Amino acid sequence: MRRRNELALLPKSPLLITESADEFDAVRDAFEREIKPRGIIERMYVHDICSIVWEILRLRRCKAVIINSAFLRALEDLLVQLRPPGQQDFHAGDGARKLAHAWFTDKEAQKRVLETLGRFNLEESAIEAEAIRRSSSDLESVDRMLTSLESRRDKALACVTEYRASLAHQLRESADRLIDGKDVLRLERASSKRSTAA
Amino acid sequence: MASERQIAANRRNARKSTGPRSAAGKKRAGCNAYRHGLSVSMSSNAAFAKELDRLVREIAGDTKDAIALERARAVAEAELELARVRRAKVALIERASAFGELDPPRPARVAVSQALRVLNSIVRNPNAPIEGGVTFPEPIDASATMPLQEPDRSAEAVRRMLPELRKLDRYEHRAAMRRDQAVRALMVGTDR
Repeated sequence: MRRRNELALLPKSPLLITESADEFDAVRDAFEREIKPRGIIERMYVHDICSIVWEILRLRRCKAVIINSAFLRALEDLLVQLRPPGQQDFHAGDGARKLAHAWFTDKEAQKRVLETLGRFNLEESAIEAEAIRRSSSDLESVDRMLTSLESRRDKALACVTEYRASLAHQLRESADRLIDGKDVLRLERASSKRSTAA
Repeated sequence: MASERQIAANRRNARKSTGPRSAAGKKRAGCNAYRHGLSVSMSSNAAFAKELDRLVREIAGDTKDAIALERARAVAEAELELARVRRAKVALIERASAFGELDPPRPARVAVSQALRVLNSIVRNPNAPIEGGVTFPEPIDASATMPLQEPDRSAEAVRRMLPELRKLDRYEHRAAMRRDQAVRALMVGTDR
């Protein structure tokens, strides 16, 4: 009950329309099982860690899609570059465009592309390399954001540890104060009081 | 420790950094804070104030200590600030996913140059018929260039918003740092 109240107080993590709230809850539950947060501050940090991890997953997905969507243009460019000698840019561009489109679905086109690459001792990895090169500026931005998020996730985890250690220290000190305090009835004094009363 | 020469060089360089000089530059710099609106305080918003008060009460517990309450308020404010930046990030991606870009569709550069050509010919000879007639191409619809399928569409929206998202990321980072400092201050306060 307490957990539900505290979660209701914390601002809801915003998700994209296409993202699943159930999957987000599953990530949060996994972290809660692992960290076992107690109190609103610890829950706040766990909530933060989940939001960060969720964003990391989102950016990683995005990174893969950025590379994949650059494949078509990358292949077109490669095929133009590897055109047979004597063929003009205009004709090579048209043929390359058609072959690159077909490469995604047609086995025959895939074979032709492999043959073309093979003539220059290249493999299919050359297409991926060109796709990465074409999207390097976007990938660099995504990487910077990922690095920043990962460092914040680690910091949030360290903050939970720091907070717990500080809380434990305080609890120890409070317990010591209670034990040493004058207002606490000591056992021997209590027993002497009892004997006096008798 | 900087040497005398370095200090003098720093001062000389600082005198050169006097901000924008042109009218357009000054106007643009004047609007810096309005770009994402996140630097505007939300504590005057009634719903935000209510949410803030509830969170402060939960963090501070039953204490009546004004300092502890103030520190709990700092933690709660930073936490809600973080949530606000995250909402802004998601809203930007959703907008880009729906419209392809943030700004409304602009007429193509061709249309602008064509409009200039028409204006020039009118200024030169107001009574003469306009050569080639006046036809402006339709504005470019950025959403038409977005992938139709998910997750490609969302990923493309993120890609198009990367410069804005990186700005928000820096803002989010500062909000998280403020929250961590406030939590530390809260712990020191309860340690007294």
